[in-house]
Amino acid sequence: MRRDVFQAIADPTRREILNMVAYKSLNVNSVAEHFDVSRTAIYKHMKILAECGLLEMKQKGRERYCEAHLEKLHEVSDWVEQYRKIWSQRLDNLEEYLQQLQTKNELHDKS
Amino acid sequence: MTKVNELMKENSGKQFEITRVINAPRELVFKVLTQAEHLVHWWGPKGFPMDVAKIDLRPGGMFHYCMKSPDGFEMWGRFVYEDIIAPERIVFVSSFSDAEGNITRAPMSEIWPLEVHNTMTLTEHEGKTTLTLRGGPINATAEERQLFEDSFANMQQGFGGTFDQLDTYLTTL
Repeated sequence: MRRDVFQAIADPTRREILNMVAYKSLNVNSVAEHFDVSRTAIYKHMKILAECGLLEMKQKGRERYCEAHLEKLHEVSDWVEQYRKIWSQRLDNLEEYLQQLQTKNELHDKS
Repeated sequence: MTKVNELMKENSGKQFEITRVINAPRELVFKVLTQAEHLVHWWGPKGFPMDVAKIDLRPGGMFHYCMKSPDGFEMWGRFVYEDIIAPERIVFVSSFSDAEGNITRAPMSEIWPLEVHNTMTLTEHEGKTTLTLRGGPINATAEERQLFEDSFANMQQGFGGTFDQLDTYLTTL
């Protein structure tokens, strides 16, 4: 299954995990303790974040730490890309609308 | 410098350009781009009803609109027209806004420029219209930069709020 950043941050628990480690890496267990859900569920979320490149698990001695990689948020924050998407879709709609409008007018003209 | 600030700096200088050849005469394209009765039919993504609160097509005038997501989230935007040469050119500054028409931050990204300067040109050839839109952020003033920096300070305390709104926004794309 393809994972992307948008998918990763669509889930509130995953966003919360990212928030916690955004500016300082934390021990995996202390992150998990913060949540009411099971550890297994939290590890699953961490795994998804890691697969998207937003989180890295690092072994330090006997403990595992989570470290955030916010560079990946580029995909979200690149306004030019977003702007292009908005306008591209908007111009698709515009073309379709103009098509309808002109077809209607032709019918009018003939009748 | 924080990572977020670096991202901002990188993005702030970016320019945008899109071109489309439309199978309609220029006069009609211009009309459909500037009249409320037409805009409501195509402006927003499908399934997002659009309302034109105001469209005042003259230099200094404002186009102020709202799009509503199926779950009721309202997203407001505005253009302030700078220059209009019908039917060939529209220059405008676009921003996200509130219901009163004040400029606001983008609902999905703190890094989106507050104001984007856009030049739309329409040229006609054999009954078809080429639409070109060029845009780029307006250079931030000292106050805006301060606002950027303040909002980044807030971001460092948590990305949560931004992401919540991002979810909603992404459904509109």
